[in-house]
Amino acid sequence: MIGAMIGRELRAGLVTPLLWILLSVGQVILAWIFLQVIENFSGLGADERVATLTQELMLNLFGFAAVIAMLSAPLLAMRMLSGEFRDGSFDLIDAAPIRLSQVVIGKFIGLLLLISPVCLLPAVNVLMLTGIGDLDFGQVATATLGLWLAAMLFSAIGIYASSLTAQPGAAVFVAFGLLLLFSIIGRAESLTATTLSLFGWLSWNEHLFWFLLGAVRLSDLAYFALFTALFLALTHRRLVNRRLQ
Amino acid sequence: METLLRVTALSRSFGSHAALSEASFSLERGEVLGLLGSNGAGKTTCLRLLSGMLAPTSGRIEILGIDLARHPLEARRHLGYLPEHPPLYPELRVDEYLAFCARLHQIPRRRIATAIAEAKCRCGLEDSGQRLIAKLSKGFRQRLGIAQAILHQPPLLILDEPTEGLDPFQMRALRGLIRELARDCGVILSSHLLPEVQAVCDRVAILHQGRIRFNDYLATAQPIYGWRLRLGASSTVVKLTDLPGITGAVVMGEDRYRVLLEDGVDSAELARQIIQAGFELHELVPERSDLERAFFDLLGVEEQG
Repeated sequence: MIGAMIGRELRAGLVTPLLWILLSVGQVILAWIFLQVIENFSGLGADERVATLTQELMLNLFGFAAVIAMLSAPLLAMRMLSGEFRDGSFDLIDAAPIRLSQVVIGKFIGLLLLISPVCLLPAVNVLMLTGIGDLDFGQVATATLGLWLAAMLFSAIGIYASSLTAQPGAAVFVAFGLLLLFSIIGRAESLTATTLSLFGWLSWNEHLFWFLLGAVRLSDLAYFALFTALFLALTHRRLVNRRLQ
Repeated sequence: METLLRVTALSRSFGSHAALSEASFSLERGEVLGLLGSNGAGKTTCLRLLSGMLAPTSGRIEILGIDLARHPLEARRHLGYLPEHPPLYPELRVDEYLAFCARLHQIPRRRIATAIAEAKCRCGLEDSGQRLIAKLSKGFRQRLGIAQAILHQPPLLILDEPTEGLDPFQMRALRGLIRELARDCGVILSSHLLPEVQAVCDRVAILHQGRIRFNDYLATAQPIYGWRLRLGASSTVVKLTDLPGITGAVVMGEDRYRVLLEDGVDSAELARQIIQAGFELHELVPERSDLERAFFDLLGVEEQG
């Protein structure tokens, strides 16, 4: 059942142009940043360099790729529930002998698979330097994992926003709102005098940062898993409530 | 006969507005039930409740004896549903779409190809398997919607305005299909078209303001309620009512009348009387539409010519 849902989402994602446009635009932007990093790095003398080439690339290239993934997830997710509510095609799933939890998981995995190529883009760019520069492949792998986990969270938020309204445009903006909130919430820490780092912990970029530095910490893994599960549970709740409204 | 569906005191409110109140009915195997009502009467709400897409405020729905609220998955397995707008994915091809529907309805993999071929054949889509749904015309989309509903051969079929968007030929073909399907399953269809319901249904439930006001079998030999006449220019209603055998006449338009006859007087006698009185008889048509009368009588609206 979940397999059927995933298959349909993949098919729909691959035959419509949105994913291909996101990949092309993403690659153009990343290539530009890639060039800039290389140029800056090669322009500096050995003693002026504060970080290795891999670290420079991780922080800049993967950092930007995370922003691209953040913008892509809501766009890819809007079609999945919101668009189906609008077109009435959700009625097919709603009247079929399938659990709503299976629907949510199927759509989520479908979205995650569709957004995975976006997460692989920076690694592909970096790997072009194999043999030319001195690369830390372990760090590239860790950064890619971190980016993929961040994309997982973005997808869950995107799916949740998509379940809220039958207007895909509105769903995208709700998702952007939530994602931006999760991006800037860490800044609140500097506004308050407290030493409690809750706000810092809530923001996703703090956790991605450690992955980009090459550290896989259990607390970061837990953060992404926890919030992904939370938003998927909220989506399920929302779909159940639709039947009662 | 086996009871496929039993609905007991089903109610659904949206806020303070009661869309459906205390609806109770049942459906036997081999029966076609027509749900009739004006726009906003509660037909679609009723069908959405039956398909499990809406939860009832109160009441109970049993499909083949399985409570829909307690065992939703098991109950829905016996259900085929065509919503008001066919639930299609424009980016898929017809075959891909039907294969997805087959998997949703848990048809065993080895039977999927046969089931799809059969459903396409029944709905006249044999040559459309590779066509993109986005490119299909409205009539073909409706047919595809019906194909997905009958794909898994459900014993209970729920069709929300199935003839919407079909041309007269397709409409006739669909009526044939529904009658054929009704041989081994039960069908509920909604419509606001009286002749359509009359042509295809065994039983009719008329909904008005969320309540079932009429629920009865349609007699196959429908009684004649009156006669419609079109006479020559010299006719007047007063002259017409004076004729023997006529109990009453109503003007329906210029030189058009509706007359009621005494018991035992038939159309031949009526025609003879009219000719003898010196009128020109242009048309003489029996009025059989008992459902139409029931509909308008129930809704408290007098039929207008």
